[in-house]
Amino acid sequence: MLDDIALADLAFEAEGDSLENLFRGATQAIIEILANPATIGSAWERTIHRQDVDAATLLFDWLSDLVYWKDAAGVVYRDVQLSLAYRAGKWELEARMHGAPVDPVTQELRSDVKGVTKHLYDLSQRGSRWYARVVLDV
Amino acid sequence: MVCAGRAGRLEEMGGNGRVAEMKLNTDMKVNRITDQVWEIPMSEKAGMLVPARIYATSTILQSMDSGVFDQVTNVACLPGIRRYALCMPDGHWGYGFPIGGVAAFDVDGGVISPGGVGYDVNCGMRLIRTDLTLEDVQPHLERLMTELFRRVPAGVGASGFVRLDHATLDSVMTKGARWCIEQGYGWHRDLGRIEEGGCIAGADPEKVSDHAVSRGINQLGTLGSGNHYLEVQVVSNERVFDRETAAALGITGHDQIVVMVHCGSRGFGHQVATDYLKVFEKAMRRYGITVKDQQLACAPFRSLEGQDYFAAMNCAANTAFANRQVITHQIREAFATVFGRSAEELGMELVYDVAHNIAKVERYQEGELVVHRKGSTRAFGPGSPDLPDAFKQTGQPVICGGSMETGSYLLVGTERAMQETFGSTMHGSGRTMSRAQAKKSVRGEQLQHQMKQKGIVVKAVSMSGLAEEAGFAYKNISEVVETVDRAGITKRVAELRPIGNIKG
Repeated sequence: MLDDIALADLAFEAEGDSLENLFRGATQAIIEILANPATIGSAWERTIHRQDVDAATLLFDWLSDLVYWKDAAGVVYRDVQLSLAYRAGKWELEARMHGAPVDPVTQELRSDVKGVTKHLYDLSQRGSRWYARVVLDV
Repeated sequence: MVCAGRAGRLEEMGGNGRVAEMKLNTDMKVNRITDQVWEIPMSEKAGMLVPARIYATSTILQSMDSGVFDQVTNVACLPGIRRYALCMPDGHWGYGFPIGGVAAFDVDGGVISPGGVGYDVNCGMRLIRTDLTLEDVQPHLERLMTELFRRVPAGVGASGFVRLDHATLDSVMTKGARWCIEQGYGWHRDLGRIEEGGCIAGADPEKVSDHAVSRGINQLGTLGSGNHYLEVQVVSNERVFDRETAAALGITGHDQIVVMVHCGSRGFGHQVATDYLKVFEKAMRRYGITVKDQQLACAPFRSLEGQDYFAAMNCAANTAFANRQVITHQIREAFATVFGRSAEELGMELVYDVAHNIAKVERYQEGELVVHRKGSTRAFGPGSPDLPDAFKQTGQPVICGGSMETGSYLLVGTERAMQETFGSTMHGSGRTMSRAQAKKSVRGEQLQHQMKQKGIVVKAVSMSGLAEEAGFAYKNISEVVETVDRAGITKRVAELRPIGNIKG
């Protein structure tokens, strides 16, 4: 978590030794900001396919998917199995989300993220590692 | 006359020979206009079309983060802006506009920007009075808070008791609080005590995405999380500053119990903002508009894209009015259950409901303007033709929420606000500490215990979320209120002290 970037909201930086692992790290950050995944079942699942020529746009849209399904399906997440590949000039994402309907009695719920923002949003490669900075509106 | 930036050099303050050191979180030149008004001239940033003005005491000005100065001057660069880009004393960094930002744009040559409205469209405040006193409520406070917590869902993924289908949600989008009254969730007279009668014209559900609908369809009657809350408060005699105005608004003092609600359009409004930021990013290229910050994406107000966003934003605004109306119904039901008398017998009339994240077309000396208020409140003065008769003498009520530990304020708008700030004022106390820092400083359970010791019963869905909202993470609201009172853009009526709080 980044302490001083978003006074009223939440910000995090994710990193990985590959773009795929960076996506996994950022995904895990959202999962854990919403709720403690150890307290979440896996009665609900959904698979998302997305592709984009721009990896930064793909990450932004994918993280927004996590926020969208939280509200649209009324769920929080236990885990996401995710793969990323570069084919024919595009980044292709396949993500299988596992989670359960919100239940404040049995789940440790945390912050209700309303959306991913473009404020200071960044995806970059430095040396062999990938980094993303994401500010969330809560 | 001039205050220093980060270097903190000594400068003369005013013409009285007094010299003071002003260390501001900016390198820009900031001129003192009065003790509560500071101006950044157009020379301080390339592209500024008007000066920026910040309402603050010197103490508050020095505590403002660098984002305020950067962002308010970015706003001053937007096409068609009139007079000043403004920031209120509760200002802090936001997305695009600072929180506490006010800016008015010409309807013909100017723009509309989701960054000037905020993601939570029509996030706002509602205040309900009662005939109950602290003595009446204290023995039942724990039960009352439990009942309110049960009836008003809060936190991650909470869904309300009102079941909507797509056609009904369309009605909510166009009718706002009026739809709730038609369904029996409130009293017809409530509508006269809501900004715009709880229903803004020009809402068009066709301009709202399916994604926004899917996110909003289960959320009517829910608080959300973050800084949103439902609070039971007490008004003591010694904290009523204007008895005549207070009485006209139904505030008697004498340890009177009131209820405050702070929430907005939830994920629905956020999705509307997100959708149109994308639309505007593309539209700006077509209209040749450049902005200093991607989150200031905008379009000419009269353009197709601008009008589509305005219609969708009004849908979200009406949904927020409906959200707070359904919550009011639940609050009345909870009080009736606990005290064994109907809400009408308990005198649970609405004092007012006001938006603090919205764009509206209003008429000023320059003509028709699109006034953006983002974390700032409309504050129309006495005699304003846009106010209902009930507020013609008093001026429009303004409800400002403080931290859950320190209290909140009821104020009224003034004629001076109409002249200086496009009829606008502050909205709350404003954060000084990040959520992450607050959580490092206190645990939710510890804070809940400390607040109980102070006589405040807190019910929270998330203990980490509770810690983020600790009082020390916010500015002193009394100092913020004093600034707008002294500046004359709003007048203090009463302070409201918390005794019970529900957090998401």
